[in-house]
Amino acid sequence: MSAARGDAGGRKERAAATRRRPVAARPDLSLVVPSETSYLALIKELTKRMAEAAGFREGTPDRVALAVDEAATNVIEHAYHGAADRTFEVRYEDRGPEFQIEVVDTGAMVDPRAMPRVDLDRYVAERRTGGLGVHLMEKIMDSVTFQRSARRNVCRLVKRKDGTPEAR
Amino acid sequence: MSELSVETREVGDVTLLYPRGFINAHTVRRFESEIQKALEQKHFKLVVNCEGLSYIASAGLGAIMGAIEEIRGNGGDLRLAGLNETVRNIFEILGFHHLYRIFPSEVEAIRSFRDGEGAAS
Repeated sequence: MSAARGDAGGRKERAAATRRRPVAARPDLSLVVPSETSYLALIKELTKRMAEAAGFREGTPDRVALAVDEAATNVIEHAYHGAADRTFEVRYEDRGPEFQIEVVDTGAMVDPRAMPRVDLDRYVAERRTGGLGVHLMEKIMDSVTFQRSARRNVCRLVKRKDGTPEAR
Repeated sequence: MSELSVETREVGDVTLLYPRGFINAHTVRRFESEIQKALEQKHFKLVVNCEGLSYIASAGLGAIMGAIEEIRGNGGDLRLAGLNETVRNIFEILGFHHLYRIFPSEVEAIRSFRDGEGAAS
């Protein structure tokens, strides 16, 4: 696993650089993680710390961390079908008014929107156990989007900082 | 603390499960296996004491969902006790607190079986 930390206070400098030339935004932190479920706890703990550093309090860091755990689990189980010899990337970016996490893989295209919406009553009756992860992500985050480009799947999770006290 | 350990004990006809650690896609098989052991022994009154559970991801919730029909179909129930704020919040986010009976302590959960109280739904 490798990690790269953005320079301290680099956001203003990056903004200035962006004005000078069109470069892609650099995440505050990115990790390349082996596609093994044993790394999920590490991702969860790191995400919690990053959410705390972004200013979230009172349970929100735990919930955001769970949403990212679910996104990473989806990659391992669905995009890579459980293959442990692949990697995926987790990128964190404090964008000021919002905290963004991207989970990027190069596995099979997975369209979570094709999953049926979760109906808990039917869930019990039909003994279904899948699809809860995406439902949980959507309940926790302000925005969850999935994109496929250049043979990569990008799951982008955004939590705004201006939510209600309960949401924060 | 290890990632997950699950101890069990019997109190009368109620089986108590004590998950310690966290339940996610990596550890869920251990949790599922303890539930299945109880079902194989025809123990359908289960209490999951969550006092040692730091968090539960959808994999763990799915494990409960996957067993609940068999449990209730045999006249039993799976009830939860001692949830910390994080775990309780996850249950509430998904609306699971409407599907499962949750008690502050395992004593109250065991008593609910003795008093013949029904399942949540």
